[in-house]
Amino acid sequence: MSSYGYNNTPQIQQTNQMPTAADDRARSVEYLCGDCDSTVALKRGEPIRCRSCGHRVLYKQRTNRMVQFEAR
Amino acid sequence: MPVPRKDPTPRAPRVVKAKAAATRETPQQPAIDVDMPDAALAAARNDAHADSDIEMLDGAPQPPKQTRRRRAPAQSNGVDEFSALLEPFYYGKAITDPINTAEDKWNLLPAFLKVKGLVKQHIDSFNYFVDVELKKIMLANNIVKSDIDPKFHFEYTDIRVEWPTRSDEDDLTNHKSNVTPHECRLRDMTYAAPIKVDIVYTRENTKMKRVNIRIGRLPIMLKSNRCKLAGKNDRDMAYMNECPLDPGGYFIVKGQEKVILVQEQMSKNRVIVESAKGIIQASVTSSTQERKSKTYVLSKKGVMFLRHNTLSEEIPIVFVLKALGIPSDREILMMVAGEDSAYQDMFTVNFEACGREGVHTQQQALEYIGHRVRIMKKPQGGFQRRNYYLEAIECLSSVIITHVPVVGTNFRQKAQYIAFMARRVLMAIQDPKLIDDRDYVGNKRLELAGQMLSLLFEDHFKKFNYDFKMSIDKVLRRSHRASGFDAYAHFSVHQNHITMGIERALSTGNWNLRRFKMERAGVTHLLSRLSYISAIGMMTRITSQFEKTRKVSGPRALQPSQFGMLCLADTPEGEACGLVKNLSLMTHITTEAEEGPIRRIVFDLGAEDITAFTGEEIHAEGVYSIFLNGTPLATTDMPKQFLNNFRRLRRSGRISEFTSIHINHHYNAMHIATDEGRICRPLIVVETGRSKVTARYLKALRKGTMAFDDFLSRGLVEYLDVNEENDSNIATYEKDINDHTTHLEIEPFTILGAVAGLIPYPHHNQSPRNTYQCAMGKQAIGAIAYNQFQRIDTLLYLMVYPQSPLVRTRTIELVKYDKLPAGQNAVVAVMSYSGYDIEDALVLNKASVDRGFGRCQVFKKSAWTPKMYPNGSADMVLQKFESKEKKNHALGVDGMAQVGSQLFQGDSYIMKGAPKDFGSVNPAIQEWKESPLSHKLPDPAYVDQVCVTENETSGQPVIKVLLRQTRRPELGDKFSSRHGQKGVVGLISPQEDMPFSDKGICPDIIMNPHGFPSRMTVGKMMELLSGKAGVYDGSYQYGTAFGGSKVRDMAEILLQHNYSYYGKDYLTSGITGEALQFYVFFGPIYYQKLKHMVQDKMHSRARGPRAILTRQPTEGRSRDGGLRLGEMERDCLIAYGASQLLLERLMLSSDQHEVDICSKCGQMGYSGWCKMCESHEAIHQLTMPYAAKLLIQELSSMNIKVSIGLEDEFPRE
Repeated sequence: MSSYGYNNTPQIQQTNQMPTAADDRARSVEYLCGDCDSTVALKRGEPIRCRSCGHRVLYKQRTNRMVQFEAR
Repeated sequence: MPVPRKDPTPRAPRVVKAKAAATRETPQQPAIDVDMPDAALAAARNDAHADSDIEMLDGAPQPPKQTRRRRAPAQSNGVDEFSALLEPFYYGKAITDPINTAEDKWNLLPAFLKVKGLVKQHIDSFNYFVDVELKKIMLANNIVKSDIDPKFHFEYTDIRVEWPTRSDEDDLTNHKSNVTPHECRLRDMTYAAPIKVDIVYTRENTKMKRVNIRIGRLPIMLKSNRCKLAGKNDRDMAYMNECPLDPGGYFIVKGQEKVILVQEQMSKNRVIVESAKGIIQASVTSSTQERKSKTYVLSKKGVMFLRHNTLSEEIPIVFVLKALGIPSDREILMMVAGEDSAYQDMFTVNFEACGREGVHTQQQALEYIGHRVRIMKKPQGGFQRRNYYLEAIECLSSVIITHVPVVGTNFRQKAQYIAFMARRVLMAIQDPKLIDDRDYVGNKRLELAGQMLSLLFEDHFKKFNYDFKMSIDKVLRRSHRASGFDAYAHFSVHQNHITMGIERALSTGNWNLRRFKMERAGVTHLLSRLSYISAIGMMTRITSQFEKTRKVSGPRALQPSQFGMLCLADTPEGEACGLVKNLSLMTHITTEAEEGPIRRIVFDLGAEDITAFTGEEIHAEGVYSIFLNGTPLATTDMPKQFLNNFRRLRRSGRISEFTSIHINHHYNAMHIATDEGRICRPLIVVETGRSKVTARYLKALRKGTMAFDDFLSRGLVEYLDVNEENDSNIATYEKDINDHTTHLEIEPFTILGAVAGLIPYPHHNQSPRNTYQCAMGKQAIGAIAYNQFQRIDTLLYLMVYPQSPLVRTRTIELVKYDKLPAGQNAVVAVMSYSGYDIEDALVLNKASVDRGFGRCQVFKKSAWTPKMYPNGSADMVLQKFESKEKKNHALGVDGMAQVGSQLFQGDSYIMKGAPKDFGSVNPAIQEWKESPLSHKLPDPAYVDQVCVTENETSGQPVIKVLLRQTRRPELGDKFSSRHGQKGVVGLISPQEDMPFSDKGICPDIIMNPHGFPSRMTVGKMMELLSGKAGVYDGSYQYGTAFGGSKVRDMAEILLQHNYSYYGKDYLTSGITGEALQFYVFFGPIYYQKLKHMVQDKMHSRARGPRAILTRQPTEGRSRDGGLRLGEMERDCLIAYGASQLLLERLMLSSDQHEVDICSKCGQMGYSGWCKMCESHEAIHQLTMPYAAKLLIQELSSMNIKVSIGLEDEFPRE
């Protein structure tokens, strides 16, 4: 689903501008939006929400460490 | 199309990639996501030729047809780009093929399912609720008045349900929500839409009008007409992460998929004559919007009475009829008995009561009844003299048999109704055959989601209005108000009650309605997503309201009248056997239709109002009474003509197609039914010995110019309910039609349901085997939905390489099981091998297992949401923990496991931090204790997905981690064919030891032939034969019930390919290399892997945890419990005399305990000291079970003294 409907509503955008008690010391981690697939960098305590489409389901990216499988 | 050839050596995977890439680069084939599977498919097909001719692979151009399909543009006008492929007539036949009505009439079935879908009952019912019932409920409760201010007026003018939204979007105007069902599943939300009303009310003497006021949120049924998925094509569905094959018909409540199962009940407002303990009675459950009650007319010792809950004793029937305004005894006699002297003789006894009690007039009868009315409400304002006369009128008009209306003071209709009931009792006494069968399906009604929701909504809506009225009254009571009074301010306060009430009922399944004193638990169930079939099976399931513990066999027995309506194979075994049923493929459950138009039509067809007739006239020879929904309406003396005219009107579409009419010659009655919940099914109309559906119409159907609804409106096909079906002569095949035939079966295999339809050749199996398969088909692991990898379910089993069955049935194609299969075509050799195959055990080929036979994946979800503590602190995910511990190796910097990493036992996947201080502490200096969530199972798992989201209502973060395990079959895993033949793996044998045929074919499974003789699953043998023929013929064969590929034809095909027509093959032993001395029945059979796997069950323990209270070992695998030496095992040891073993098992290895006992007082002491005797003298130490010691102490706490007497084992003499 695209971003229409979300950007037009100023009410919701406000929540983005004031991060509720985001931890400054915390490292940010990039997640993938479940809707538009863009990366979302989140710190602890920030609202869980895609910055471009407002979708609230985010997925953790796949590890860049090596993964070894036992083929059986 | 020049393809770069980089690698001269034919290595299949490399070539595949190059091919796919090349396809993408060509300009006329734009790269869209959809073409990927096609490319892979094409490549895979070429792959098969790779070893024989590599040149052909490179040079072979794409078939042009495929290219065209791939280039199909994205359409969004509801037509599927693949719809041509999904057309029902692609199954086997092309548009241009000749049509044979006898064979091709089954084409109506896919047309029916296309219009209605598999779960049309649920969806129709919900749509009816939203579109019609909701408005009716609103209209019945549309005015709210105040007790204080008579000038206050509040009225609802309209009510509607909008499109689903998220709950935080409810207040936004002009906002189109893009919420999808899948988002609701992931975020644990409820898929619900706002219910909006328009209101008119008074504010300070002015009339105010407000529109679009939200009063609550209604959970929306998926694929109903209020759902986002309604009418969407496959592409749109994929865009919304939804599976196009999903049946819908369920709700998503708090992220869980909930189904309201179909409930079976006795029909309302119909008279049932039954015999209870020798008393014959006619009973009727009257049900209207306001009231529900049961009335009986019964005969005791030849005298008839009327019984009702509000009457303190049974009233002689004559008094009731007198009270209802039939003064003369003769008229009463005529109304009940008619001119028949036998009935008259039986009924005259009742008039004796008149003389005995002195009741002769209506006035006296009313007084008599009035004295026996139970007072429901205490009269307000002290003692009042009861007016018995008025009470009796009130009771008779609005409590007894409420569904028969009393217009003004006209009680005649009600009197006739009671007289009819009395007559039925008389007739049943005379002829016991006329006692009704309670289990007859025509006497049953099915209650669906819409009806259940309307009960719930009505209750909550009434409560909402009541709460609103109370809060207004509270304000209006105050005489001096500071500000102007606006009732609207009080209106929106309670809207949460409706939302929460409906949501709670759906998520717990408890329907508690005070008004009807209804307390039903277990109305909703979690939709089982074990396999696609289990989900579909759940949607067609019917539960019964009967008690399971009762030993009566009637309700459980197979009813002849359920033919074609309810599946005759699909019922569980054991407790709920026969009580839980399933719908057949073509059944439809009616929704309510209006009575008004039917009533007019009845009179237009020449019938006359029954209230204008006397008893003699009604019961005269050849006169038939017409009942509308159980209530007498009219009479006619030309029943046959009336019946035909009425049916003609229905066939021409003048009245609803679900109206049914049937004639009952025992009672000289015709019954018209328009009520909801009747089971019905479509049949082809036969007139003058000829089927109305001809080749011409079937051609039009195939061309797409006619749909199923056109067949209905043209009167070629009509719906019959169970009662009407009983009056019809239905031919199964066209050749069976004779002069008396009225209807023709569309297709005989529709008597089975969706689940039983998966069985090939079920008509050749012993019937219980089909029932077993129906239970097992729901446990088979396979593909669940197209969106299975997007789903995050608590537990999900998926097969890695599912295959579409080689031997199919029409039902398989109709329910699209071939697209989401659950099983694999295994090559089976029916022979004995190795001795590890006794008792239904199977021998698996190790190489097959290595290649992926029976391989499955298990996904497990674990969700985490922060726990709140009373001091305001909450759990959190620790991010900057300093840990080099090995068990934290999988965690990322955000404290959650990295996607793709492997977790061993004890490895943590979420680093949860719990606050150390639960007192009042500054949150800034709060310290956190590491308490990670860790992987419990001994087998490793991979992190498949980590989903981070936010709860809709609380705003709390929710973390869902999905762990994946891939499992290959192992010893003890359960497999089953489609014929109720289950077995566990007994041996996984190396391929070199397996027998092989002269073609080099080696079986995947070896099955012991002893499974056949006692089970009599001939269908399984036929499946093997058809499967084998299909394989050599390159075609799918059919095992459709009452049809399918013929064994003779299969044998013919096998013979053509130089195989034995018996399906037997010559095999060579893999162990000795010698030819087997026998031919082996050898071929493919579709095998399902069932969810019961050894890995989830195996368990052993030497030492381990003990229960705190009894100090005995814990119970169950999940608690690492001990294995119980039970009562029967104990009996064996006692009988054998192994007393020391017994002692060891029951005490030493369990809850051995040392106690000090005083031999003087027999009480327990401690540390060698007896508290009672205050001495060390007589203390002896002995060992006893802790449970025994506990029992003694518990008894003493109840004031029961237990003393232990000690004596020497070897006395000194």
